[in-house]
Amino acid sequence: MPKKEMPAGALVLLILRVLRSGPLHGYAIAQRIHTLSSEVLHVEEGALYPALQRILLQGWVTSDWGISETNRKVRFYELTPAGRQQLEAEMSGYDRVHEAIQAVLRTA
Amino acid sequence: MDKLLRRLRYLLNRRRFDDELANDLEFHREMAALAGGKPVGDPLRLREEAREAWGWTWIDRLGQDLRYATRLLRKSPGFTCAAILILAIGIGANVAAFGFFNLMVLRPLPVREPATLLHFQRQAPAGYASVLPYPEFDFFRRHTTTLSGLIARSRGSLQMEGDEKPLKVHFVSANFFTELGTSATLGRLLDPTRDEAAGADPVVVLSRGFWQRRFGADPSLPGRIIHLNGKPVTVVGVASDETSSLALEIPDLWIPVTQHPHLVAGSKLLTDYSVESAGEEVWGRLKPGLTPKAAEEELRSLAAALRAEHREGIWENETLPSEPGGYVTSILGRAHHGTGTKDPSEIVPVASLIVALVLLILAVACGNLGSLLLARGVAREREISIRVSVGAGSARLIRQLLTESALLGLLGSAAGLGVGQLIMSGLMSATSTPAWLDPSPDWRVLLFCASMGLFSALLFGVTPAFQVVRQRHRATRTRQILISAQVAASCVLLIVAGLLVRALTHASADPGFEYRQVVTIDPELGNHNYSAAQARTYLDTLQGRLRSLPGIEAISLSSAPPFGNKTITMGSEFDGRVLKIRMNNVDPLYFETLRIPLRRGRNLAAGDPNSLVVSQSLAELAWPGQDPLGKPFDVAGRQHTVVGIVANAHVTSQQDKSAAEAYFLATEADLPSMVVLVRTSASPESLVPTLSSLAKALDPRVMPDVQLMKNSFQRRLQGTQYGVLSVGILAFIALFLACLGIVGLIAYAVSQRTKEIGIRMALGARPANIIMTVMRQFAQPVGIGLLIGAGAAAALSQVLRKILFGLGPLDPVAYFSAIGLFTLTVALASLFPARKALRVDPMQALRND
Repeated sequence: MPKKEMPAGALVLLILRVLRSGPLHGYAIAQRIHTLSSEVLHVEEGALYPALQRILLQGWVTSDWGISETNRKVRFYELTPAGRQQLEAEMSGYDRVHEAIQAVLRTA
Repeated sequence: MDKLLRRLRYLLNRRRFDDELANDLEFHREMAALAGGKPVGDPLRLREEAREAWGWTWIDRLGQDLRYATRLLRKSPGFTCAAILILAIGIGANVAAFGFFNLMVLRPLPVREPATLLHFQRQAPAGYASVLPYPEFDFFRRHTTTLSGLIARSRGSLQMEGDEKPLKVHFVSANFFTELGTSATLGRLLDPTRDEAAGADPVVVLSRGFWQRRFGADPSLPGRIIHLNGKPVTVVGVASDETSSLALEIPDLWIPVTQHPHLVAGSKLLTDYSVESAGEEVWGRLKPGLTPKAAEEELRSLAAALRAEHREGIWENETLPSEPGGYVTSILGRAHHGTGTKDPSEIVPVASLIVALVLLILAVACGNLGSLLLARGVAREREISIRVSVGAGSARLIRQLLTESALLGLLGSAAGLGVGQLIMSGLMSATSTPAWLDPSPDWRVLLFCASMGLFSALLFGVTPAFQVVRQRHRATRTRQILISAQVAASCVLLIVAGLLVRALTHASADPGFEYRQVVTIDPELGNHNYSAAQARTYLDTLQGRLRSLPGIEAISLSSAPPFGNKTITMGSEFDGRVLKIRMNNVDPLYFETLRIPLRRGRNLAAGDPNSLVVSQSLAELAWPGQDPLGKPFDVAGRQHTVVGIVANAHVTSQQDKSAAEAYFLATEADLPSMVVLVRTSASPESLVPTLSSLAKALDPRVMPDVQLMKNSFQRRLQGTQYGVLSVGILAFIALFLACLGIVGLIAYAVSQRTKEIGIRMALGARPANIIMTVMRQFAQPVGIGLLIGAGAAAALSQVLRKILFGLGPLDPVAYFSAIGLFTLTVALASLFPARKALRVDPMQALRND
C-alpha cells in the first residue's frame, strides 16, 4: 500500500481527534493515525511536530511529562476544553465540506 | 490574549521548551527504529521548523546577525572608527540641540509640583506687560478661589555696607520658598506667617553662592544683622543650591517684598498702579482639579472688578493669560511692557533655524556614510556572492546589512551622546548658566539619541544595502545622488554661516554714530529717591567737574543711551500704519557727543520743550514724500513739533533696521533717570576710575555704573558671535565631510576605469583630457547640489531676518563666497585622486585584469 500525503489542514483535525480518547505522546499520535487509517495515512515527523507546536500555541492541547511504554520520560499531549470545542467545530465543518464534495463526485 | 501570554511564556522558557522538543523527536526516532523504520530528515532542521510556530525565530536571527556584524566591524577598525566619528558629529549636534530643548521646554524646574504652577502676564487692547502692579497682585491674592497661592517677585538692587558693587536682590512675597518647596542650607527661609506683614522685622535670605563668596560660608551667620542701604536687616538663613529661584540668574539676596518701602527710600512699589517703573512677576498655584482657563477667567473678572475702583491702573478689557510656570521657558524673557500687541517670540525662528542646521549636518553625515558603505559593498563583493551561492535569499542579506547599519547607528549614537554632552556643557559653562540647570542626559535625551541612531541607520543604510545585494554598485547613479545631497546640505550650512559673518561685519560696522570714545555714567539717581531738583544739582555739579578733566570733548545727558539696558519703545499711528518708535529724552549736546550729524532743520534747544528731532528713517516712514519739518507729533497728549532731522543711529546695534528714533528735550521730571555721556579724546579706559570716583564723591550713596560704550557694543554682538562661531564650525565640518565623500568617489571611479584610462593614454590622450574625463561625471551632481543648496539656503534664511541686523537674506556676497569657497575646496581636493589617473601605466593597465 503506497503512503499517502496528508491533505492540508486535515492533520490538525486528526491530531485533535486521536487525542479525544486520552493523552498520547507524539509517536503514539502518529501511530494511532497510521493504524486507524488502515495504514493509508502516514504522518511524517517534519509535519507532526510543527503542527503540535502550533496547536500548543493555540492552547488546544497542553503537554505534560509521562512515562512511555518503553519506560522513558516523554511528553504526553492532552486535549484542553478549548481544544475539544475546536475539534467539534472542525469536525462539523469537515463533515459539511466532505458531504458537499461527495455530492459533487456522485452526481457530476 | 492567551495566545500572546503563551507566546511570551515560550520566549522566557525557550531553552526548556527546546529541550523538550528535542526529547520528543529523539523518542520518536527511537520508537521508529524499534519498529524498523529509517530516520528521515535532519533532526536539527526539524526542530527549527517546529520552533518556527512560536514566532520567535527572528530573535535568533537577530542575534546571529548582530554577532556577525560585530565581527565584521571589528575586522575593519579603520572603517568602523571613521563611520562612528562621522555619525558622532551628525548625531552629537542633534543631541545637543535636543538637550537644550529638553532643558528649556520639557524638563520641569526643580520646584514642588511644577505642573500646577502658572505664570501670568497682562494683556489688553491698550498694551501688554510681563509684570503686574503690586496692588493688583495683592487684590488677586485676597480674592482668588481658583488658585491656592500667588507668588510675586520683583528684581532690584541694594547696597550693602562696605561693598563696592550693589547686590542683586529679589523682592518676593513671603510664601515664595514654601510655595516652591525650596529647602534651606542653613537657618530658615521666609515664613509667610512671620515675615509677610509690613511691620514685621526686616529679614533676608542669602543665596548659597553669596554666602560662600561674601561670608566664607560662616555657619553662625543666621541671626546676624547686616546693613542694606543703611538699614539693619536680620539674616535668617541660606537657601540651598538647587533652588531654581524662578530665574536663570540666582540673586544674592531674597527679601520680603513688603520690606521694599523700608529699604528703598521713596519706593512706591506696593502702592503704585503703573508698571512703568517696576512691577511684580506673578505665579499662581492652581487648585487641584481646576484648569488654567478657570484661573484666567477668574482673574479677568477680578481685574474688571478692580478697574471699577482704579480706572487709571487697570487696563480696559484686561486679561491675564497664563503659561505653564514650571518650565524654563516661563522664566527666559526679561521684564517687558509696551503699547500695542506683543512682539511675536524671537525664540521660535531661531529654534527652527537651529533644528534645520543640525538636521543638515546629520544629512551630510548620513550621505557621507552611505557612500562609504557603497564603497565597502565593492570590497565585499566576494563575500556577498558566496553567500548568495550557498542559498542566502536577498531578504536575508538585506536584513543582515541593515543589522550592520543599525549596529553602526547605535554605536554612533553612543558616541554622539558624548559629543552632544560635550557641546552642551561647553556652551553652558561659556554662558555661565546656573548650577540647577543640569545638562546630564535624562531618559528623553537617551531615547532621542537612540532613535536618532536608528533613524540615521535607515538614512545611510537602506539604499546601499539594496545596491550591494543586487550587486549593482557599479551604477554610479546612487553615488551621484548621495554626492548631490551632501553638496546641497553643506552648501546651505556654508551660506548660512556666510550670511551670519556678513551680518556680524555689517553690525560691527558704523552704527551711525561714533561710540568708541564715549563713556557712560549711570548714577541711577531715581533708585536713590532723588527729586528732580536734587538730580539737577547732582548732574550739574558732576558735569562741571567733568569739564575740568583733560581731554573731555563733550558731555551730554540721555534717558536711553545706545546699547544700554533701557529702551523706551512706543507704538504710534501714522495714517493707519503703526510704527514702532524708540524714544529718547536728551539734552541738546547729545548729537554732538555721539557725532550724529544733523541733516536738516535745527537742533533741540533749551527752553523749547515742545520741539522734537527725528531720525531720517522715522521721517521717511512717518511722512513719506512730505516735508517732515513742522509736522505735529503727539506723545502722551502733549503736542510736539518736528524741528530737525538727524542721521539714523542704530542704538540697539542695528537689530532695529528701521532706526526710527524720536529725540525729545529732557524735562526736569526726567532728570533722576538720566545717564551721563562723556566723549573724550584720551583713552576712554583710563578715564573710568576717575569718572567713577568723581561720581561717588558727590554722594557716597550713589554707586554709578560706568561703562565704555565700545564694551557695551561688543556685548550686544556677543550672541551673534557665538552663533557665527557655531554655525561656522558646523559648516566647515560639513564642507570637510562633503570633500571626503567626493574625493572617495573620484578615487573609486579612477580605480574602476584604470583600463579605459590606460587605453586612452596609449592612444595619446593628453593629461588634461584624462582629468576631464574622470571629473566630468561629478560636475553634474556637484552642480545640482549647489543649486539645491542655494535655493534651500534662500528659503531658510527668511527665518534669519530677525538676527541679520538688516542685511538682506539674499546677500549676494554671502552666496557667491560660500559657493566659491565650496567649489574651490572640492576642486582642489579632487585633484589628489585625479592625479592618480595620470600615473596609470598604459601597459600595466592593459595587461592587468
